[in-house]
Amino acid sequence: MFLQHLVNGLSIGSVYALIAIGYNMVYGILELLNFAHGDVYAVGCFVSFALFATGINPILAILAGAVSGYIINIIVEKYAYRPVRFSGRVTPTISAVGIAYIMRNVILKIWGPETYSFGLGFRGTQIEIGGLVIGTLQIYIFVIAVILMISITFLMKKTKVGQGIIAISQSIPTAALLGVPVNRTISLVYGLGGALGVLGGILFCTYYDSIFVGIGFALGTMKAWMSCIVGGVGSMKGAIIGAMILGLSESLVAGYLSTTYKDAVIWLILIVFILIKPQGLFPAQIAEKI
Amino acid sequence: MNIDIKKGNKISILVVIFAIFLPLVVKNEYFIRVINVFFLYSVVALSINLIVGICGLLDMGRAAFMGLGAYCSAILSVKLGVPFVLSFIIAGIFTGLVGAILGFLCRKSTFDYLTLVTIGFNVICQVVFLNWISLTNGTMGIRKIPSPNFGGFYFDTNISFYYFALAFLLLCYVIIKRICKSKLGRAFEAIRDDPIAAEYAGINVEFYKIINFSIGSLFTGLTGALFVHYTQYASPYNYTLDESIYQLQMAILGGLGSLPGSLLGTFILVALPEISRSFYEYRLLFVGILMVVMMLYYPNGLLGKSGVGEKIFSLREKFEGHQKAGGKCE
Repeated sequence: MFLQHLVNGLSIGSVYALIAIGYNMVYGILELLNFAHGDVYAVGCFVSFALFATGINPILAILAGAVSGYIINIIVEKYAYRPVRFSGRVTPTISAVGIAYIMRNVILKIWGPETYSFGLGFRGTQIEIGGLVIGTLQIYIFVIAVILMISITFLMKKTKVGQGIIAISQSIPTAALLGVPVNRTISLVYGLGGALGVLGGILFCTYYDSIFVGIGFALGTMKAWMSCIVGGVGSMKGAIIGAMILGLSESLVAGYLSTTYKDAVIWLILIVFILIKPQGLFPAQIAEKI
Repeated sequence: MNIDIKKGNKISILVVIFAIFLPLVVKNEYFIRVINVFFLYSVVALSINLIVGICGLLDMGRAAFMGLGAYCSAILSVKLGVPFVLSFIIAGIFTGLVGAILGFLCRKSTFDYLTLVTIGFNVICQVVFLNWISLTNGTMGIRKIPSPNFGGFYFDTNISFYYFALAFLLLCYVIIKRICKSKLGRAFEAIRDDPIAAEYAGINVEFYKIINFSIGSLFTGLTGALFVHYTQYASPYNYTLDESIYQLQMAILGGLGSLPGSLLGTFILVALPEISRSFYEYRLLFVGILMVVMMLYYPNGLLGKSGVGEKIFSLREKFEGHQKAGGKCE
């Protein structure tokens, strides 16, 4: 039974990890609490859902969703975040909350508050290994998540763009002086974050075979943020491991303690964790600027 | 004896007199009810302003404290039969204590962590309100909560409650204003502007953060308690995270750090949904656009620093300065 919870926790954790990576890229670079992340990718997921419902090839539908997430985030960055980039912490945060509300209202206006079935037509079979049930879907999710994580890590570590992103996260003026195209790179980061979020969101929807407006804020932004805080702000490795820990602890709490109080227990664990280890498990190696 | 009444004071005295005579002119019960809700939310917005605007701690879980105050008072008065005055005051003290505990836990937390902890606290409180059925009645909520009463007199009509809420608002406003003008308020502002500099100036940052959280929570809890005594019904769905953010928006719209601004922001956000029912559908869109536009052009709100209000005043002062020839040049 414990192993079963472990498998479930890992597969939900890898979905969270995808959402958290996109969140963490923005969070690590601009220290912006991107409250809109979840709602933006929810719009992308709904776009993909609507296209899928017309009978289009599922791969195309997923790609279209990711592209729409990319475009929405670039537009949002340009008009809502860029003008307030240097005006403290509270101002951009509130601006992001505003964007989240706009996105949510768009979803509510077009698709309403209903829950739709959204499985991408996936008929998974289950493999049984000594009493342990693993769905093929869970394996696919895990593999897709790992592939995406590796490619993002490669992008950050080995390419010029990735090094530019890291430079910006350490100091925007210095990066600009060294010839990194700051605005272009930042909007690329937002776009990539949005696209990754949509991919994670679609996997999430497929896993639960449902889509509704709540996947944005409560299940997206909050989980991504929690993962980042647990792992350490700005650390890619931290976000992934944080998401896995979050998925595992959710699955274990639901399995052994109580499902009604699951959210409360998770939050309680998180709060206690913050109080004990406020820098997260893998703090980014940057000193606090005074 | 020369009593010098400042311009700002003149305006506020006029507003208070207007508020006192308003129900004598307007007999519409519905209108009075909206104004009552506005009075109560104003106190919440003021308490948010004290925490977010004056001390710079971005708290996104105010509705949890409203809920705590509401449930505390409701349970005391319905299940134990405690008289209103006592349950009301106990609710305030209780939330103040909870605020102090949360502030104590967050005393070292920086911006992000504090916001996350307050959001988490809100979620935890909501789950508890919904699921601790023996105490809170779960999704049913608590019904038949007695109206506010003092020595046999019940404030059970809208008009009588109007005066009660007005008095409550005035009292809270004056207290919060006095706090802002005192040593305490200056310490809060120093912490908001630069915690490290404040520490070097000899301000015990952690202690003042706890005090600030506690005072803010006290007012929020009192309002929450008063709210359920007015509506006579406590529902767990009134204390969600979205509600918290909507309340935060009231303080932001008027201007963080400006007390009259909180009243104006609350008035706009309470009155607008009442003007048209179809507005409710677009409430989130409107609030969202408002938040973004305000942050882009007036990050300090309508009546805050370099907001719309200040621009009008500075224009007028310039005009008056020109009239008095030979006025001091800046």
